[in-house]
Amino acid sequence: MTTMDPSVGTDRARALFDEELAGVTSAAALQDLRNRWMARSGSWVAAFMELVASAPPDQKRALGRGANTLKKHVEAALAEREAALAATRRPAGAVDITLPGRAPRLGCRHPLSLIREEIGAIFSRLGYQVLEGPEIEDDYHNFEALNMPADHPARDMQDTLYLETPLTPAAGDPPTRGLAPRAPQPLTLLRTHTSAMQIRQMERHDPPVRLVAIGPVYRRDSLDLTHTPMFHQVEGLVVGRGVTLADLKGTLLSMATALFGPGQDVRFRPSFFPYTEPSAEVDIRCIRCNGGGCPMCKRTGWLEILGSGMVHPAVFEYVGYDPDEVTGFAFGMGIERVALLKWGVEDIRLFYENDLRFLEQFGR
Amino acid sequence: MKVLLSWVREFVDIDEPAEAIGRTLSLRGLALEGLEPMGDDALMDFDVTANRPDCMSMAGVAREIAVVYGLPFRAPSMRVGAAGPGAPDAGAPAPPSPLPAMPITIESPDLCARYVGAVADVTIAPSPAWMADRLSACGVRPISNVVDITNYVLLELGQPLHAFDHARLAGPAIVVRRARPGESLTTLDGRPRRLTSDMLVIADAERPSAIGGVMGGADSEVSSGTRRIVLESAWFKPQSVRATSRALALRTEASMRFERGADPTIQAVAMARACELLAQLGAGTPGPAIDVHPVPHQPTPLHLAHARVQGLLGMPVPADEVRRILAALGFEVAPAPGGWSVVAPGWRVDMHRDVDLIEEVGRHHGFEHLPATFPGVEQAPAPSDPRIARDARARKVALAAGFSEAISFAFIEARHAGPFQGDEAAVALANPLSEKFAVMRPSLVPGLVEAVSHNRRHGRRDIQLFEIGTRFSPRGEMRAIGLAWTGLATPDHWSGGRRDVDFYDMKGVVEQLASLFDVELTAHPPAAGSVAAAVLVPGRAAALTSGDRCVGWLGQLQPAIGDAHDLPASDIVYVAECDLDPLSPTGIAPARMTTPLPRFPAAVRDIAMLLDESLSAATVRGTIRSNAPATLVSVTEFDRYLGKGIPDGKVSLALRLTFQAVDRTLTDGEVEAATTAVVEVLAKKLGAVRR
Repeated sequence: MTTMDPSVGTDRARALFDEELAGVTSAAALQDLRNRWMARSGSWVAAFMELVASAPPDQKRALGRGANTLKKHVEAALAEREAALAATRRPAGAVDITLPGRAPRLGCRHPLSLIREEIGAIFSRLGYQVLEGPEIEDDYHNFEALNMPADHPARDMQDTLYLETPLTPAAGDPPTRGLAPRAPQPLTLLRTHTSAMQIRQMERHDPPVRLVAIGPVYRRDSLDLTHTPMFHQVEGLVVGRGVTLADLKGTLLSMATALFGPGQDVRFRPSFFPYTEPSAEVDIRCIRCNGGGCPMCKRTGWLEILGSGMVHPAVFEYVGYDPDEVTGFAFGMGIERVALLKWGVEDIRLFYENDLRFLEQFGR
Repeated sequence: MKVLLSWVREFVDIDEPAEAIGRTLSLRGLALEGLEPMGDDALMDFDVTANRPDCMSMAGVAREIAVVYGLPFRAPSMRVGAAGPGAPDAGAPAPPSPLPAMPITIESPDLCARYVGAVADVTIAPSPAWMADRLSACGVRPISNVVDITNYVLLELGQPLHAFDHARLAGPAIVVRRARPGESLTTLDGRPRRLTSDMLVIADAERPSAIGGVMGGADSEVSSGTRRIVLESAWFKPQSVRATSRALALRTEASMRFERGADPTIQAVAMARACELLAQLGAGTPGPAIDVHPVPHQPTPLHLAHARVQGLLGMPVPADEVRRILAALGFEVAPAPGGWSVVAPGWRVDMHRDVDLIEEVGRHHGFEHLPATFPGVEQAPAPSDPRIARDARARKVALAAGFSEAISFAFIEARHAGPFQGDEAAVALANPLSEKFAVMRPSLVPGLVEAVSHNRRHGRRDIQLFEIGTRFSPRGEMRAIGLAWTGLATPDHWSGGRRDVDFYDMKGVVEQLASLFDVELTAHPPAAGSVAAAVLVPGRAAALTSGDRCVGWLGQLQPAIGDAHDLPASDIVYVAECDLDPLSPTGIAPARMTTPLPRFPAAVRDIAMLLDESLSAATVRGTIRSNAPATLVSVTEFDRYLGKGIPDGKVSLALRLTFQAVDRTLTDGEVEAATTAVVEVLAKKLGAVRR
């Protein structure tokens, strides 16, 4: 703090004031500064005014101008600083806005549920009805009507889980067409594929048909990195006049693009399923290397994703459709397989552990 | 099917490397599963689909290669007499031997359409190295020249052969018949087999010496002392071989081929090849083959319309190309109106309809030529399963309430299911994978408790999980939502307010779920013997009803159940389960017309009543409702107080009463009178005193 001495002149006094003002950071210090410079008596400004009053007449005018300029400067600077200090002052009841908020707890979606929903949405957009169906099935719908009669070797392709005691089906709408036994059959097994829903839908409805059936299926597979005894499947079926294998390719390409992004391609490899003819395994372009070859696709550039084909005429005969009138395509895809590929999950068992550290990675 | 490239090359002149062949064939229907380079040679492992038994041989795979690469194929029938590798310069064929003819009788022509037999004098010795090496490479253990020749022909042509020790056959005779009651046979693997009358056997004059198409008998097995054999090359009915193989749990290289369907035209060719090899190896002198053929192969011509090819595939295939492909595959193709009349060769047992032919045309023309088109829409899409949208709404409520979504196996351990079955039986599996997956879950809660336990073991304290899925009972399937909650009621926060989850947290979530579907749930003490009584802590358990239907339950999990899932005893877990179908089968709450907003203000009065502690809030609310003045629009409990100033056995219950009229503003006098009426009803009916 400087000692008050008006003899230094107004210019020097102004410099001293500016120096002091620069050091002021609180309202109290500002008030002190104001008192020492502006008080009616005993302040710097008061001292200069007294100097003017007692000056000889010929000097009054010049001294007075200097004193007034200093006073105006001090007043303005004090007001400016006061306003600046007020702007930084914490208002009463202020909170620490940097502390964490009270977040409502939101649950996480299961990845399989997300894929299920996504596939349902893709096919809804393409005009398909989305169906679920019974998980405990009769032999007729799971096998026989899919062109796998009792002694068919293809039954070995799927190791079936059977019930100890068959259940009696609920009385419902009986099938209106086809070769299905009119009396409901005992429910003896856990469905090995969602294809059973194809039959249930066709034997109750005239063509055209355009559906996907989604849900859990069961096979007697031991748990390992890529197998679980329960998994989820989506089954697609389109039946109408003039439906072709090329239509299947377009549809699957559209699905692959929606699921895995633009630039997708699909590849058909001839295969065998009892309920389709021709049959094809379908590969998508490897989503990691985009076809260049990497460990994920075993350097082939392609990833196997589903089985498909043109509905076998025998299946149409089972459900009472005329194979000379209509054709159709069908495909079946594992939901887990899609999830494994899409998110780079390396162990399928993670989907059934329900470990929150895993589930929380899929967002809310 | 393991295929040796050098062996295949005896049928087709293919110069491509094995890797390229594998890649190409994978796109034509034979998927390469493995590839093992062997010097100049290579062992290719193909995944042969169940419909293609013709590819379970070197010749069959060679034929596919020939078609794919447009190369000539040397048919097996043309090769008999040609030298194999390592053969001595074949001179003149051996002169006919004076061997005795073998009487062959087929008593069951429905199961055995053809039986070619031949007698041969043999000298048992090890096979030459080239043959033993080929067999070993393909996974067949070399045994002796005679046995190895039967296996060699099987791998080469796909026709299973069998050799009997002539000296061990009574008669000697071959009788192909069904097994007789009580007959049994010890098979080559040394195991006694009890035979049934639907099984086909190859018998001598007295008893079975082989199970047709499955396995030979130990007694007539060719051994080092064998001097004379009977060779068999036969065709057995696929369904019969499959049924026998399954019944005996006995799968062999032979049964795998017969049950898929062997070529009914190749038996004599295979026999000739075997006899040729016997002579070539110096292993024996065969006599003439006897061909008993009661049911000749009569293929049905199939009509293939050219328009149907494009109609099914959606890509054009020129007529010349259709002809070329089918002819190369061995089909007889003759022109017919609009297309062709096609006869399948004997080895193509999978040809039944025109679509089978179209698949052949499609895969060999190349699926890569398929354009990507879309099926036309003929009518508006049919509605989806309403449960999907309903479940999605329930899922949203659970997620918003902080529960993460779980998906568990639908089969669980029997001991975990037991308490959740009530008085119903388990839905048990006949052939479960293990004890862990023995019964279908009667409730979603055991799976959720297991998941809670898993997360607790991995360091989590606060866990909220739900699952929407199917639960099972002998009555059938029910879609339900299950919830489990342990730890803090709300996330931990620096501002405090830590509180563990309690009954009312869980009840609130269930109430929200019910209100989503416009359903009112009522909580009752669980009935004795019910699931809720079995799995929940008494006094903190509620059975939930809608109308008179029981739809679920909620409360604190019995520690014993947590313990069975390895949960710490100190953990308090609240659980709930609600069936979704009774709440809303369609997912759509009944449409409700809106009510106009009230035009006159409501008046609110709070009253505190001193009541017997044993009286439930539902009783108090019910008493008020059934005696309420018309202007009372809602009653809410807003405080419940026990303790200082409240006599023992009593509770202070504070109620907020809201009064409103549709046609006027209620006067203070009216509101006071209505409030007094409520207080009086409570005093009169429940002995309550206003505080």
